[in-house]
Amino acid sequence: MICDQVERDLDAYMDGELAADSTAAIRDHLDACAPCRQRLADREALGRLIRSVPPYEAPAHLRARVAGQTRRTWSARPLLAWAAAAVLAVSVAGALTFVRSTTMRGDAADDVVNGHVRSLMAEHLFDVRSTDQHTVKPWFLGKLDFSPPVVDLAAAGFPLVGGRLEYIAGRPAAALVYQRQKHTINVFVWPESGASSGVTERAIRGFHVRHWVRAGMSFWAVSDLNDAELTEFARALRGT
Amino acid sequence: MPSRVFEETVLPHLDAAFNYARWLTRNGADAEDVVQDACVRAVRFFSSLRDGDPRAWLFAIVRNTWYSRVTRRAGAETQPLDIATDDPADGALDPEARLLQQRDVARVRKALEQLPADFREVLVLREIEGMSYKEIAAIVRVPIGTVMSRLARARDRLSAVLKPPSVPMERLS
Repeated sequence: MICDQVERDLDAYMDGELAADSTAAIRDHLDACAPCRQRLADREALGRLIRSVPPYEAPAHLRARVAGQTRRTWSARPLLAWAAAAVLAVSVAGALTFVRSTTMRGDAADDVVNGHVRSLMAEHLFDVRSTDQHTVKPWFLGKLDFSPPVVDLAAAGFPLVGGRLEYIAGRPAAALVYQRQKHTINVFVWPESGASSGVTERAIRGFHVRHWVRAGMSFWAVSDLNDAELTEFARALRGT
Repeated sequence: MPSRVFEETVLPHLDAAFNYARWLTRNGADAEDVVQDACVRAVRFFSSLRDGDPRAWLFAIVRNTWYSRVTRRAGAETQPLDIATDDPADGALDPEARLLQQRDVARVRKALEQLPADFREVLVLREIEGMSYKEIAAIVRVPIGTVMSRLARARDRLSAVLKPPSVPMERLS
């Protein structure tokens, strides 16, 4: 074994990340080679030096804030389960597939509302800011494994203003952002294998939600816009 | 599932998460924001933890949170994502004795902070958090081989930064 090879693997050797045979080969070489031993000693000294830097500790106020926030965020979850159960109860008691899909939709509905709220709170509305559908649509290329339909609805009074990536119910989703005066409408889109459906209407924590499945895509529109206008928006988007 | 389960599983790693975020952001206030946002995400995605290691899982969320912040701000300030491409200055490392003499926390901190973010984080994850290459690869989302080479180059860089400017002996005389 030559020193160049040893040098290449020295870090992994020191970190205990080499396979047994390579480890043995390097150990043999080190026994015989003083410069490589020195190199290892230097590396180990460097490691000790880094570890001598005391880690930063979370400030007490951060810990308190996170704990409080965790409880608040968490407490929204049982409510949601209850809401999903209520939806079930008033629905036709159906087959197991129906039960499962309703539960999943319940989760997604809460997630899209959370995504909507977060986008406004964190002022993270856009990854791509453009009123041009021909800019927004290609932007998603290579970032998602599907191509969301992107249409500008300015003619209907709902101009497209941009888009961003989201994670909804554990999957990547496209978020398209539309505007109506000062109101923001987030439309979340991801592939859905189920059959196309009509529009379901929900209100969650004061936000209006519209959901439908079309052409293999699940659509969720969320906004603080009033009910009538959001219905109008959903109609305009579906009519395209 | 009670929120207590989350608190008992995830919150013990808050200090470590903050330390990581602090090294990523190089700034206390930004680190607090990142950790707070990350914890909100952690609650929402708690079911994705399953049987995994909660610390590595939380770190991955912290990193994603930080990453989406810096990419959002890209161009607004310095580029924290600068990827080091140059090779280590030279192969000659300091003797251990000299390194030990420089046991000066502030100096090492500064040297670490000067490293590009991708170098800095692998050093922090490996040396301070004691994570395996596999864990680091999962958090940083690169192949294990990349972790290995990045760590080696990061150490080369750090050695070079910590080394006092070398003045040839003949010039001193």
